[in-house]
Amino acid sequence: MTTDVVIRATDLAKTYRTPFRRKKVEALRGVSFEVRKGEVFGFLGPNGAGKTTTIRCLMSLCAITGGSASILGQPVPSRAARQRLGFLPEQPYFYDYLTVNELLDLGGRLFGIAAAERRRRADTLIERVGLGNARGQSLKKFSKGMLQRAGLAMALINDPDLVVLDEPMSGLDPVGRKEVRDLILELRDAGKTVFFSSHILSDVEQISDRVAIVVGGKIEDVGRPRDLVGRAPLGTEVVLAIVDDADGAKDATAAIAARAEKVRATPGELLAVIGPGADVDDFLVFAHRHGAKIISVMPRYETLEDLFLRRVAASHRGSAPEAVPP
Amino acid sequence: MMGRLWAIGLNTFREAARIRVLYGILMLVIGVNLLAIVLGEMSIHEQARVARDAGLAGISLFGSLTAIFLGVFLLYSEVQRRTIYAIVTKPIARWEFVVGKYLGMVLVLSVLVALFSAAMLALLTWQGVALSSAIGKAVVLAWCEVLTVAAIAVFFSAFSSPFLSGIFALALFAIGRVTPDLRAAASTADASWIRTVSSATLEIVPDLHLFAISGRSVDGVAASVHGDYVSWGYVAAAAGHGLFWIAALLVLACVIFQRRDFV
Ligand SMILES: Nc1ncnc2c1ncn2[C@@H]1O[C@H](COP(=O)(O)OP(=O)(O)O)[C@@H](O)[C@H]1O
Ligand SMILES: [Mg+2]
Repeated sequence: MTTDVVIRATDLAKTYRTPFRRKKVEALRGVSFEVRKGEVFGFLGPNGAGKTTTIRCLMSLCAITGGSASILGQPVPSRAARQRLGFLPEQPYFYDYLTVNELLDLGGRLFGIAAAERRRRADTLIERVGLGNARGQSLKKFSKGMLQRAGLAMALINDPDLVVLDEPMSGLDPVGRKEVRDLILELRDAGKTVFFSSHILSDVEQISDRVAIVVGGKIEDVGRPRDLVGRAPLGTEVVLAIVDDADGAKDATAAIAARAEKVRATPGELLAVIGPGADVDDFLVFAHRHGAKIISVMPRYETLEDLFLRRVAASHRGSAPEAVPP
Repeated sequence: MMGRLWAIGLNTFREAARIRVLYGILMLVIGVNLLAIVLGEMSIHEQARVARDAGLAGISLFGSLTAIFLGVFLLYSEVQRRTIYAIVTKPIARWEFVVGKYLGMVLVLSVLVALFSAAMLALLTWQGVALSSAIGKAVVLAWCEVLTVAAIAVFFSAFSSPFLSGIFALALFAIGRVTPDLRAAASTADASWIRTVSSATLEIVPDLHLFAISGRSVDGVAASVHGDYVSWGYVAAAAGHGLFWIAALLVLACVIFQRRDFV
C-alpha cells in the first residue's frame, strides 16, 4: 500500500432509493480511481454523470452501496481524515444570517482552533478569496459567486492537506473562473492535493495534472491529459488565401477541395483538412500551382475535448443511468 | 467535544432568534395573561386562581407548541437546505450535531420560558395576587415539559418531514397530557383490547401530565395544588422522568441520523 495515495475509490457503487415510491437510480456503477499526493485531479463528466454522487460518497454524506473508498489513508467515513480535509459543496449554501467572518469562526470552532488563531485565519482567507469588502454583510445578501468564494474560504479554514471541490467554477464569470483556477494552482504549489469536479472541459484541461472522465456512473478514462489522447496526428489543417476575383478562382477552389478531406471556404480564404496519410508537401505544391497563397499549416492531434465528446456520444448510444425497475 | 456542541448550539440559538414567529408567540402569551386577569376580575373569589392557572397553562401550552415548531424545523432545514454539508464534513460526529442542535433549542426555549414567566409574574404582582413558592415549582415543571416535548419533535424530525413530525409530536403531546385517563382505561375499560392498547400506550409515551399541576387538572384539590402540596421532591422526580425521556429520544434520533443519506 502506497502512502502517496490520498483518495482511493475501488468499485464504488451508489444506488439512490426513493422511499415509498420504490424507485431506484443507479448513479454509480463501479467507480475506481486513485488521487496521488500533491496533484490536481480533475473529475470531468457531463451533467448527471455521477460526479456529485462520487463526492458525496467520499465525504460520507451518503452511504456507499458497493465497493469501498479511503481518504488520506483512512477508510470512509473517518473523522481523523476529516480533520485534514477541506470541502466545497456544489452550489454551496450556508447559514444566511451569518457574516462570512462568523461562518469561518463556526468552521474554525468545529476544528477546535483557538479563538485568536481562528480570527487570524478568517481574516487572511477573506482577503484571499476577495471578500474583504463584504465582511459586514450577512450571507443572505451574497451573490452566487460571493457564496462560492465564502465556501472556498470555509473549505480552507483548517489549512487542509486535501481539498475537494464540487464544481468550484460554476456560476462564476470568466474573471472568477480564472481566480479559482489560480487558487487551485496555488494550493498545489503549497503541497496540497486538490480534487475537483467540473463539466467544463477547458477548466479541467488547463490545470489538472491528471483527469478522470466519468460518464453514466462509470469511469471511462483516468490519466494525464496528454496520455489519454492519441499521439498520432488526426490530419493537417491548411489555410490558404485565394484571390477571389482572379480568373479561375472557382476552378482552383474546386480542384484543391477535391484533394482535401474536408474544406471550409470563407471569402478569400480556404481551410482545408488533409488526412493523416496524405503527403502534405505534395498538397502544398498543388495548391500553390493553382494560385493559392499558403497562410498556415498545422498538424491536428486529438484533444481532450474530442475524447470527452466521443465518450459522451458513446454513452448516449449505450445506456445512461436510467431508473431501473425495483 | 464541548466546544463543538457549543458551536452548534450557539448557532442554532442565533438561527432561532431570527424567527419572527417567536416574538409573536411572546406577545400572545402576554395577551393570555392579560385575558386571565380580566376573566379573574369577573369571578371575584377565584380571581387569583384563574390568573395563575391561565398564566401557567399559557407557559406550558405555548412553550410546548414552540418546542414542536422549533424541533421539527431546525434539524430538517439543515438537511433540506444542505447547510449540513459544510458541517458534517468537518471533524464532528453526527450525534454531536444532533445533540448540539437540541442544546441550542434548550437555550432558546429556556429564554422563552423565562420571558413568559417574567411576564406572568409581573402581571400577577401588578394585580396584587399573592405569590408563593408553588408558582416557582409550577414554572420549573412547565420548563421540563417544554424541553421534553422538544426532544419528541427532534426525534421525529430525524426521519420525517416537518409536517409529519409536527403531527406525530402533537399527537404524543396530547396523549402524554391525558395519562390519567389512559391509566383509568387500562385498568377499568370493559373491552379487553382497550385495556391492552391503553397500557401499551402508557409504556411508550412520556407522562407529560406529571408536569401539569395547575388546579384544573388535579380536580378537587385545586387549593392544595397552589399551596405547598407539591414538594420539591415531586418536582425532582418529574424532572427525572423528563430527563429519561429526553435522553432516550435523543439516543434514538442520533442512531437514525447516523444512518441517513444527506442528498
Ligand atoms: N438524491 C437523489 N435521488 C435520486 N437520484 C439522484 C439523486 N441525486 C442524484 N441522482 C441521480 O444520480 C445521477 C448522478 O447525479 P449527480 O451525481 O448529481 O451527477 P453530476 O454531479 O455528475 O451532475 C443522475 O442520474 C441523477 O439524476
Ligand atoms: Mg454535480
